[in-house]
Formats: sequence, structure tokens, C-alpha cells
Amino acid sequence: MTTVVEVQDLTKSFGSLAAVDEVSFHVREHAITGLLGRNGAGKTTLMQLITGQEFATTGRIRLFGAPPMENAAALSRTCFIKESQTYPDGFKGSHVLRVASWVFPHWDEALARDLVAEFRVPLDRKMKKLSRGQASAIGVVVGLASRAELTIFDEPYAGLDAVARQAFYDRLLADYAEHPRTVIMSTHLIDEVADLLEHVLVIDEGRLIIDASAEDLRGSATTVSGRRAEVAAFARGREVLDTGSLGGFASVTVAGLSAAEKAAAAQAGLDVGPVSLQQLVIGRTRGTARQEVAS
Amino acid sequence: MTVTALPTSPTAPPLGRRVWNAVRLHAANPWPTLITPWLIFAAIFGLNLAIWYLVTVAAGGVQNLDADAFAYNGGVTWVLFFLMAMAVQAMSLTFRFALGVGMTRRDYYLGTVAYLAILAATYAAGIAVMARVEELTDGWGMGGQFFAPWFLADLPAWQLWYLNVVAGLLLAMLGVTLGAVWVRWKATGLYLAIGALAVLVVAGLWAMTTTASWGALGEYLGTHSPVLSATWTLPVTALGAAAGYLVLRRATPRA
Repeated sequence: MTTVVEVQDLTKSFGSLAAVDEVSFHVREHAITGLLGRNGAGKTTLMQLITGQEFATTGRIRLFGAPPMENAAALSRTCFIKESQTYPDGFKGSHVLRVASWVFPHWDEALARDLVAEFRVPLDRKMKKLSRGQASAIGVVVGLASRAELTIFDEPYAGLDAVARQAFYDRLLADYAEHPRTVIMSTHLIDEVADLLEHVLVIDEGRLIIDASAEDLRGSATTVSGRRAEVAAFARGREVLDTGSLGGFASVTVAGLSAAEKAAAAQAGLDVGPVSLQQLVIGRTRGTARQEVAS
Repeated sequence: MTVTALPTSPTAPPLGRRVWNAVRLHAANPWPTLITPWLIFAAIFGLNLAIWYLVTVAAGGVQNLDADAFAYNGGVTWVLFFLMAMAVQAMSLTFRFALGVGMTRRDYYLGTVAYLAILAATYAAGIAVMARVEELTDGWGMGGQFFAPWFLADLPAWQLWYLNVVAGLLLAMLGVTLGAVWVRWKATGLYLAIGALAVLVVAGLWAMTTTASWGALGEYLGTHSPVLSATWTLPVTALGAAAGYLVLRRATPRA
């Protein structure tokens, strides 16, 4: 297994706030990794650290095996598309694409033109005059057409409508299948990207709280629903990640059920279903993790 | 479907290519630096011509004017301060974009300084050519000196070019440094830097006065060529370029 990004005990503090707090993980080559978490969890800071834009307070980062800071070799293999990107005064979409074609060694101009048509990106208007969605679309075009060995998308869909977002996911998967590359995607639209992800990192208040393959993660928890009393009885003593109720019905998301336990729950007349990635992340990031149901 | 692994390139593109990318990043949109300045230049020059013509007509002809009536004009210095503004903007706006597309701070800085030097050389060349035209047309038929005011009209073209380049570089590097300070420490840093600069200038004036050196300076300027005198600003320019890099080296593209 080749590692593209390696982060060890990484901390970035702004004054007394640790935006990234003692984080360690690897990003595997030729996989799509999701970096999930709430707004302000530290996702953007983490990606800026990985790409040498921010300076780490403590810890170690390796990008293609070397420290990323001022490292032209590693950075020229990386394309980082962030929602908050600003552009020089008077820059139009056409200028952005022109610069991208110079700096990314594997730039595919034909793909870029194709994507511009598909996303209906206006190239002759100033970036500042574009809507949020149009500016995002330019970022998406650059990220895909860069064919960079490591492509990092930070909330790339901001302002894109559902059709354009789906087009982005489809194009990403299609291009990824033909030209395997390493992708890190930061997002909070978790359900939308759940099927794309092979690996999941979840960050909350600067800390990495989940680092697992998407498959393991889906198997790690189960949603059990049914009549309130029966659900409560089943949940007693188990690790409950999330609860919900509607009238006399309730559902709980519980961690680590064996096949036998699932069968037992089904026997008891409860509905047993796989948990969605989104529910799992919500459960883990709103402070209910490891909370035992007492009653 | 064929699956093609992307070619890997463990080594960086050569330094020259990387710096060149930073240079042309500034020219990707040619309007603000390569087209607009000449248009503004033409407008300022046109207004000057109009005013000279007005004065000439009011005076009843060129023969009624003093020989040096139109010899002093600061219109051309506009382009030098424009270079400074360009430099500040390069740091504040373009830097963030450059890092966004994976340039290193060093490559970006080298390319930016190179681009500003190219601009200074180009503007100065334009001014030198126009000054020659000015000379050949007897100051646009009215003894006007727009492109080579004052004593500059007596200099050979290459000296006029050199003086404008050196002055442009000095202001550009000042702009680069102040712009880098802004990127790294925002308004507070900028106020402190400008304050420090003002203190330095006043201290310099103070030192000149208390040591009664103004006479010596005047004598130096009077007995040495303007080219030699201007060359003495180059160490200051180089210092500014170095300071700008030291400040930018640890700057982040935070909004």
C-alpha cells in the first residue's frame, strides 16, 4: 500500500484554540477518502496544512513522502480546490483555466472544455461577478481536468444545484475509474457522497474521531426501530449512537451488533437496518458517543 | 474501458518553468498591467496637451511663452506609483491564488519580482521612446516636456530609461514589502511598517541636518551624473526585495 499523505500528531493552534488537535492518519493511494465533519471542525485548516499553505504548530506531515512546505515537487502533484478560493482582480474563468493549464503537469484541456460545456460555466465573466455555484463549477472543472495525482476538494459543491452536484459525482467517478488517482473530499453533504467514498475520516472540534474504511463503518452500527418500549428494552446496556422517536415509535442506532444479536432483534419484531454514513457521523459528532442508555 | 494509471512525476518541473509560471500568472489577464496603464497614460498626456494648447492660445502663440513654460511636469511619475500599487495588489490578491494552484512562496515571489522588473523596463522603454518623439517635435510644437521634464530632456535616451527603471524598481520593491506585511500581519502590521518607514525617513533627514550634510549632498548630485546618483538606490531596492521575501516566506493565504 502506497501512502500519499501521512499525518502524525498534527496540531494547529490559533491562540488558545486548537483548530487541529493531535491528529494522525494516512491517505492511501488511488482511493477516494472523505473528510467529514461539521462546519468549523477543522477540515479546511487540515487540508491547508497538508498542502503547505498553513504552518503546523506541532506534528509531522508527509505529502508524497516529503514535508509539503515550499516543496515544489510534492505541490506540483497536488491540486487543492477550496470553496473559499479568491482570485486576482479582474480574473475571468478563462484566466483561471489558462493558469491551471500551465501549473498542472497532467492538465487535460479537452476534458476541461467538455466539463465547461457540461457545467455551463461562463468563462468570459469576471470571477467576482459569478454566482457562488458558477464559481464552484470553475473549481470543479480545474480539479477534475488537473488530473493531479492527489486532488483535494474542499466543499466543492457550494452553491451548485442538485443536478450539477450529481454531474460532478458522476464525472469524478468516471474519470477516477479510467485514471485512478487519489482524491480527498471534504464535505458535509455526507449522504450524497457516501457511495463514492472508500475511506472515511471524521473530524470534530479539531480531533479525528473516525478513521475507517467506509465498508467497516457501515457495518459498525445498526439502526433498530419499532415500538418505543421494545426499542428501549433492546437498547438497554448497549452503546447508543443516535436515537429518534415519532409517536409510539422509536429508533436507535447502536454500535457493534453481531449477526446473532441482529437476528434476535428481528425475532423480537424490531426492524433492523444498516446505518447511513450520515446518521453515524451525526451520532458521533453531536456529543452522544459512548453514552450509555441508563433507563 | 481502459484503465490508465496517471503518469507520476516525483520530481518538480524545473525552477525556470515554475518561476515563469508565476511571471505569466500576472499577465494571464493582460488588462490591468499591460493595457490599462497605457490608456491612462494616454489620457493624462492628452489632458496635458489640451492645457498646454489652451495656455498657448491664451498667450497669443508660442513666441509669447517663457522657454521653460512647459518644462516641469510630473505626469510621468504616475506610472511609477502605479507600479507600487501593482506590487501591493500582487501580494494581497494574487498570492492567495498562486498558493491555491500549488505554487511555492519562493517561486511565486521570484516570478512576481521578475514581472515587476519586466514592467518597469517596459514602461521606461515606452517613456524613452515618447521622450524622443517629444524632442523631435519640439515638445509637440509647444515646447512641452511631458515624458522628459526638467533636466531629463538633456539626457541620452538610455539614461532616461535607466533612471525610470531604477525609480520604478525602488517603488515596486517598497510596494512588495508593504504588500507582504499586509498579507502576513494585516492592517496592524501595515500601520506599524508605514510608521517605522516614516520614522526612518525623519531620522535620515534629522541626521542630514544635524551633520550639516545637505550641502555635501547637493554638491555630490551636482558633480556626479544622475545615473550614478540613482544607482545608489539599488542597494535599498535590493534590501526591500529581500525584506519582502522574508515576510512572505511565513505568510498564509488566510482570508
